[in-house]
Amino acid sequence: MNQIIETILGFLKSPLNALDESLSQSLPDQSYAALAAFAFYCLVVLAGGLTAVLSRNLVRAMMGLILTFLGVAGFYLLLACPFLAFMQLLIYVGAVCVLVFFAVMLTKNSAVGQEQNLPSLSHIILGFLAGLAPLAILTPMIIKHAPNYQITPEPTKTSLLGRGLLSSDVVPFELISIILLVAMAGAVFLVWRKKPDKKPN
Amino acid sequence: MSALTLFFLASLLLLALGLVGLITRRTLVGLLISVELMLNGAGLSIVAAAKLTPSSDIHGQLSALFVMGLAAAEATLVLAMIIVVQKRFGQVTTEEISSINPKTDKII
Repeated sequence: MNQIIETILGFLKSPLNALDESLSQSLPDQSYAALAAFAFYCLVVLAGGLTAVLSRNLVRAMMGLILTFLGVAGFYLLLACPFLAFMQLLIYVGAVCVLVFFAVMLTKNSAVGQEQNLPSLSHIILGFLAGLAPLAILTPMIIKHAPNYQITPEPTKTSLLGRGLLSSDVVPFELISIILLVAMAGAVFLVWRKKPDKKPN
Repeated sequence: MSALTLFFLASLLLLALGLVGLITRRTLVGLLISVELMLNGAGLSIVAAAKLTPSSDIHGQLSALFVMGLAAAEATLVLAMIIVVQKRFGQVTTEEISSINPKTDKII
């Protein structure tokens, strides 16, 4: 399993590795390559997020969401968490986006939807102001007070993660399985058709 | 500027985008998309804090995995709610369904 993941991730990271190698010949420090990759993933996240938030077409917004998920998976790769990046792709792109797509489809508002008529300009501006107000507080705080460690992230073995799930973090692990079960049962119960003679939906 | 600061700023960007979407979107599906953005930012900040500080690496990654599981559960439930709302009222616009008569299930 580990080998498969590493092969896939090696394939995903190969452009980054090439960039790394080409830069390491001219630069003594490889942090420039990491910085370039970080800037690229930032751009991907920004573009995807803006599309997801501002697009009037919900299918297009979902594509922006997928782009954002891919960018965040890139961040996880940069942080040397290949397993998390893999899980990000598997859970978010594979499961959550399909659910959102079902929501778009079942409410029939993909192309001529209720998202089409724009809110008024003042509404949009006030929304931006209210949404960016926490940013104005948190950004100076982070820049001022984030601890300044010079740590290069090292990859951890996936087996250690599994061991942690079954030893130190076993209670949250079991709780999350209960939560998933309850959520699934609740979802089925919510959309269950009450009439007994018809097939349940 | 340390790497930790940069990653925190990136997750803050995700939080801000999600907040703006939460306020300007008009349908429940749009709100679901925005909430997913914010949850992604939360996971990213947890992993960055675990990997770039001397704290426990394994616990940080596991917490991010739990956040992903919770996001999946939340998306399932919200999908079911959206279907119920769509069935009952024929639309999922937040402004329209924000005032509902509890006795007749009709939008006031």
